[in-house]
Amino acid sequence: MSNEENDKEMKELLKQTIATVNDAGLRRDLWPQMLQKLSQPPAGVPWFDWVLAAILSAVLVFFPGSIPALLYQL
Amino acid sequence: MNQHIYLRAYMAGIVVPTIFLLVVATVFTIARYVYNIPVPVERVIVFPMAVVPNAWGLWNILFITLRSRLRLSIGLHGALLPILLAPLGIVVASLLNFPIPNFAAHALPIAGPVALIVYYFAWKYLVGFLNRVQQIA
Repeated sequence: MSNEENDKEMKELLKQTIATVNDAGLRRDLWPQMLQKLSQPPAGVPWFDWVLAAILSAVLVFFPGSIPALLYQL
Repeated sequence: MNQHIYLRAYMAGIVVPTIFLLVVATVFTIARYVYNIPVPVERVIVFPMAVVPNAWGLWNILFITLRSRLRLSIGLHGALLPILLAPLGIVVASLLNFPIPNFAAHALPIAGPVALIVYYFAWKYLVGFLNRVQQIA
């Protein structure tokens, strides 16, 4: 293969590659979707955690003797 | 931002018990020196001062290391820590001849589940938040 043919083939390959890159633009605007995601309220505390918090409060009220032992562990 | 992940995990882990130590030390000091409670707290204060914060830091490193394999939530991971710390605390207290007051001894069976719940919350909401701040969550 001569140098000229080689160059020609290289040119073609480059053109194909550049054409592919030029085609890589976004087909739609992603910003509205991002805004929608940002405006969603954050996930709340699950019910299981509320139950645990209630149990914890009740235990600490009815068994205050457990508080020093708890402080020792924290 | 993937550098020093374990150091960041350690730092995120020790923040909560280190801050809470101020509360613990204040309560114990007031009880001992203001209300003259005859319990030599100074003998065992080393446990919440040194052992607990380091254990939290190392436990958070363990969480970051194992999270891809175990898929355990951070709350449950944290709730397992008292299972390790409670016996250790009792051993330290007995080695230092610390007389456990009667009311605390009676409350120990209740303090265990309470510690699990408190640790679950602390790890889920506080250490989890700090891990997100450190971008290692």
